[in-house]
Amino acid sequence: MAEARAESLVAADWGGGVHPYHIGHRKLGMWLFIMSDSLTFGALLVAYSYARAASIAWPTPFPFSPSIVFSTTMTLVLLSSSLTMVFAVSASKKGKRGTARKWILATMVLGLTFIVLHLMEWNHLIGEGLSPFKLPAEWTEEGAWPGASPLFGSTFFGITGLHMFHVLTGVIYLGVVAARIKKLNDDVEVAGLYWHFVDLVWMFVFPLIYLLSVDYHGVIKP
Amino acid sequence: MVEEKKEIKTLNLVLLALAGFALLVAVWNVASDTFRAGTDDLFLVLVCLMLALLFGLPTLIWAKANGMLKNPFADEPLPEEGPSVHAVVDHEEHGGSNRQNIMIWGALLALTALEVFLAYIQINQTLMLIILMGASIIKAALIVAYFMHLKFERLSLILTIVPTIVVLLCLFAILFPDSFRLHRMRPVESVQQVEHEG
Repeated sequence: MAEARAESLVAADWGGGVHPYHIGHRKLGMWLFIMSDSLTFGALLVAYSYARAASIAWPTPFPFSPSIVFSTTMTLVLLSSSLTMVFAVSASKKGKRGTARKWILATMVLGLTFIVLHLMEWNHLIGEGLSPFKLPAEWTEEGAWPGASPLFGSTFFGITGLHMFHVLTGVIYLGVVAARIKKLNDDVEVAGLYWHFVDLVWMFVFPLIYLLSVDYHGVIKP
Repeated sequence: MVEEKKEIKTLNLVLLALAGFALLVAVWNVASDTFRAGTDDLFLVLVCLMLALLFGLPTLIWAKANGMLKNPFADEPLPEEGPSVHAVVDHEEHGGSNRQNIMIWGALLALTALEVFLAYIQINQTLMLIILMGASIIKAALIVAYFMHLKFERLSLILTIVPTIVVLLCLFAILFPDSFRLHRMRPVESVQQVEHEG
C-alpha cells in the first residue's frame, strides 16, 4: 500500500506526460520570464558590487533622515502592494471578479505611489548635481569622498531606473488585466507573479543601494 | 520491471559517486596547504558543495519517495488510506489563506524593520552586508514560496526553477574576486595621491 502510494507520488512529481508541471502555458511562460529577468537584475547588482569593491572611494550619500526614512516608506508601499495583489489573486480564484478588480486597482495605486515617491527622490538627487556620469562637486571635495568613482551615478540610476521601469510596466499590465477581467481566466494570477517578482527585486535593491550607503558622518547637509 | 529497478539502482549509485567526488574535492581544497580562505577558495568550496547537492538531490528524493528516509521532525504520520491523503494534497494545492498571507506580510515588514534598524545603529560594513543579504534571501524565499505560490506547486516545477536560478546567480560570483585584484593592480601613484588628499 505504502509502496503503491510512493510510486504514484513519484509519477506525479517526475512522470512527465502531457502536463509535466501541471500549470497553464501562461504561468509557465511567466516563470521562465521571471527566471531570465532575475538574471538581468542579478548581473546588474553584481556589477554594482564589483564596481564598489574595486573602487578606492565610494560615496555613501544617504543621511538616515530624510533619505533612508523616505526609501523605507517606498519599501513599505511596495510590500503592501504585494499584499493587495495576493488578495486580488485569491478573490479571482474564488470567481469574485469585481472584488479582484478592486484589489488590482488598489495595487495599481500603490505602484503609482511608489513611482511618484521614487521620482521625487531622483529629482532631489539630480538637483544636488548627481547624474549618470558625474558626481556632485561637493561629494568629491576634501572631507567627503575624494577620488570617488562617478560609477555611483551610473549604477544608481541604472538599477533603480530599470526597477522603476518594471514597476511602470507592471502598473500598465495590471491596468489591462483589470479592464479585461471579465474575459480572462488565469491572467490575474500570472500578473500577480510578475508583480511579486518586482517586489522581490526591490528587497535586494533597497539594502544594497540604500542601507549600505548611509551617510554616518553628516557629509551631506540636508 | 526488474530491468528498470536495476537501472534506477545504477543511476543512483553513479549520482552518489559524483556527489561524493564533489564533496571530496571540497574537503581536499580545505585540507590542502594552498588553502588561504580567500574568495577563490570559498568559491571553489561553494561550487563543489553545490555540485554535490545537485548530484545528491535526485537520489535523496528517490530515497524519500521509497520510504528510506524518515523526517525526524514530522508532526504525525499520515493516515494510510488513499482518499484522505488525496484530501490533504487537494487542500494544500489551494494554498495560503488570507490570514496566512497577512502573517507573511508582517514577517516581511519585521525583517525590513530589522534591516533599517541595523542601518540606524551603524555596525561594521562587512557584518552588515552579511546580515542584510541573509535577511533579503529569507524575504525573497518567503515571497516566492507564499506570495508567488511556488510552495503549493508540483515538485517538478519547484525543482526546475529554484536550483537553476540559485546555481546561475552563484555563477556570477566567478568574476567577483577580480574586483579585489583590480584594487591592488592600480598604479601606485594614483593611490598615493588619493591617500595624500584624503
